[in-house]
Amino acid sequence: MEFELQYWHWLVFGMVLIIAEMFLASFTLFWFGLGALVVAGLMGVFPALPLPWQLVLWALSSIVFTLLWFRYLKPLMADKSKAGNASEAIKGEVGQVIVLPVDDKRGVVRFTTPLLGDDEWPFICRNTVALGDRVYVTDISGNTLIVEKR
Amino acid sequence: MLFNGMSIAVVFVLLVLITIFMGVKIVPQGSKYVIQRLGKFSRTLGPGLHFVIPYVDMVAYKVTTKDIVLDIPSQEVITRDNAVIIANAVAYINIVSPEKAVYGVENYAFAIQNLVQTSLRSIIGEMDLDDALSNRDAIKAKLKGAISDDIADWGITLKTVEIQDINPSPTMQKAMEEQAAAERGRRATVTRADGEKAAAILQAEGRLEASRRDAEAQVVLATASQAAIEKVSEAVKNNELPVMYLLGERYVDAMKDMSTSPNSKLVILPGDIPAAIRALMGGVMK
Repeated sequence: MEFELQYWHWLVFGMVLIIAEMFLASFTLFWFGLGALVVAGLMGVFPALPLPWQLVLWALSSIVFTLLWFRYLKPLMADKSKAGNASEAIKGEVGQVIVLPVDDKRGVVRFTTPLLGDDEWPFICRNTVALGDRVYVTDISGNTLIVEKR
Repeated sequence: MLFNGMSIAVVFVLLVLITIFMGVKIVPQGSKYVIQRLGKFSRTLGPGLHFVIPYVDMVAYKVTTKDIVLDIPSQEVITRDNAVIIANAVAYINIVSPEKAVYGVENYAFAIQNLVQTSLRSIIGEMDLDDALSNRDAIKAKLKGAISDDIADWGITLKTVEIQDINPSPTMQKAMEEQAAAERGRRATVTRADGEKAAAILQAEGRLEASRRDAEAQVVLATASQAAIEKVSEAVKNNELPVMYLLGERYVDAMKDMSTSPNSKLVILPGDIPAAIRALMGGVMK
């Protein structure tokens, strides 16, 4: 072969991929860039690594990086805001029963801070509630909350 | 051999590249992706980075979870008292369960627009014109209650409905203005009549008071005359000669004045002056 891939080729290739990630913003090329850096490191140790192996190692290391990310690092990224996420924002909120459900009329629960722009909501509860009970939201159905007693 | 190995390696790299590229999904905050696995709903992805299995899972819908402002086009509504008003509204909705919204209804925006329109029509149809024009809050509350159950199946919450404009139709507006003008006119007429009435009463009272005082004055005069006559009678008593003398003197003076006045030269002198004076005096001197 006239052209021999050197370890620094991989190094440059990996860095170019990581730079390209900035413009693509898909969070995929990044792993391939890291994989290329791993191959560059291996080439530094074993310069005689044949090209197919280099490519396979590159692909495998990229897969490993991706898996590692989703396995260990993603769970650390907690949601920092519930903005624009109505169902997550409303579930688990605790309110107080101020009107009892009677026959066909729904009860009313009041929250200390407004939920979705309203502090009083009609609710449905499977078990019987008394006035002043604390209930927490499990789901929302139209403009009615499904609640459970604490 | 090496060449075979090379082609396998290249294809493997391509496969990995495409797989990872297809499998990593970034969902921006404020939206959710509905994932279908081979045509069936699988799960909904919240904001953040996710890995979906390529070739099997696909992003079927991208749904915004921010509030959506829906303009409800204006429409003609007939009130209970048969007046036509033109009303339009704006609805704020939020998609709480994206999967229900995309699978439960073909076009949720269009569906909710129509629901709000028809509900608005029926709610205003149960009200009188004056109530409809002044009770926006009641309309809002009823509207919210009316469509709440309908949109429950679509995983959508109606946050609020605001009535933007609620206008009587042009002919109605003209009639209302005329009514208001007539009402003002009526009030002006009544006020004027009240004034006139009060003035007439006051004038009558004035006349009454004046007559009363005139009568009193006449009584006073009569009393005075009576007193004067009594005094004269008292003075005269049975001594009539001085009176005769005084009256005769006055009589002669009056004759003289008459004869000197420029307009009448016919002077009639009574033949018997004492008799004339006696006649004047009545039966006082016999």
